[in-house]
Amino acid sequence: MDVLILCAKTAVACLLIVAGGAKLSDPASFASTVRLFIPLRVAWPLLSATAVGVSLGELAVGLASLTLPAITVLNTVVFAIACAFVAVSAMGYAFHRGRSCRCFGALSRRKFNAAGVLRSAIIASIAAVALAHVGTAALQLDVTARVLLFAAAALLALVAFTAARARGAGSEPEPEVVAQ
Amino acid sequence: MKVPLYLAVAQWTLLFAFGLLLIVVYRQLGRMLHKDDAAAPIGPAVGSKAASLEYSRFADDTVHYLTPGDGQPTLLAFVEPTCPSCEKLVLALGTAEHAGELSGLRVLLLTSSPKSYLDVSDAFRATRLECGRILAQSTTQAYGATSTPLLVAIDRDGVVRAAAPAIRLAEVRTFSRACLLPPAAAGSIPITAVARQHGTDLEAAAPAAGAD
Repeated sequence: MDVLILCAKTAVACLLIVAGGAKLSDPASFASTVRLFIPLRVAWPLLSATAVGVSLGELAVGLASLTLPAITVLNTVVFAIACAFVAVSAMGYAFHRGRSCRCFGALSRRKFNAAGVLRSAIIASIAAVALAHVGTAALQLDVTARVLLFAAAALLALVAFTAARARGAGSEPEPEVVAQ
Repeated sequence: MKVPLYLAVAQWTLLFAFGLLLIVVYRQLGRMLHKDDAAAPIGPAVGSKAASLEYSRFADDTVHYLTPGDGQPTLLAFVEPTCPSCEKLVLALGTAEHAGELSGLRVLLLTSSPKSYLDVSDAFRATRLECGRILAQSTTQAYGATSTPLLVAIDRDGVVRAAAPAIRLAEVRTFSRACLLPPAAAGSIPITAVARQHGTDLEAAAPAAGAD
């Protein structure tokens, strides 16, 4: 059972790291998605800063969750973020169906649709599994292990950033299909 | 030394995450390379007049000048002895020739390699088909032979009737029939596209087309 819980925890952490790293490769693109959820007229620099902030937040929480497993409050934060994903997906499905969600920057071309809501719900349920209690012995890491895990996680973010940038540069702009 | 359970799980998860990203990058790379291929079509345009060419025949070291449109249908194969796919094409051409399926056609293997290179390939060494070395770079450019193998079917009027990479016997048969297409069908059949679908029968796409 512990293995399952830890798998869930690390999987969601990796997902946050990849999503954060990929979004950072093209903040302007993600900012256009952020704008969909802000009803007020907001200056573009502020939108861009919000997009970068969201991306960095995801990345930071993912890194922290992966490298500091003993801090259980991080599991709750990750679960809250996953719930926010569900809310955003549902709102996107309701009001902006067919538009790109840019959840993974240029890495994926997912759109706001029913499947997206389902995916977010699955992620949230995996994050919920990670909330379960695991024996402290299984979570004990020495400093070297933490540093190595952090380095691997940072490398993962860098790879996601580079892959998203390469994919974004290599692909042609995709026409948006908006449901009326 | 006992590895904490969390560390073992995290390592595997990271490995999977890296693997997934690798697949994404690999797919993107493949897409980009495919796009480049599509931008630069291989071979001359179907329906265009085939260019004349000069080659040195390996059998007797004499220089020959080929003028497509001299009344004889021609099957040109741009091949290299060091290319494994070219070996397959040479073998397929040899089989077709042995079965008499290339009768009435002038079949010519063209390479940019010197004669000594033919020894590296059993298929090239054993073939009885006419083989020669291209003497001018302009020939390669005129035929769009940017990669090998490339098979070009030219009819008796010197019109390119099919041009595509080919390695299979079925493709050789398709090309040999393309050489013999009646002039009325010229330019009306996208043979290049048909031939690129491996194993597609020419007659299925062009019912009017048949050997005369």
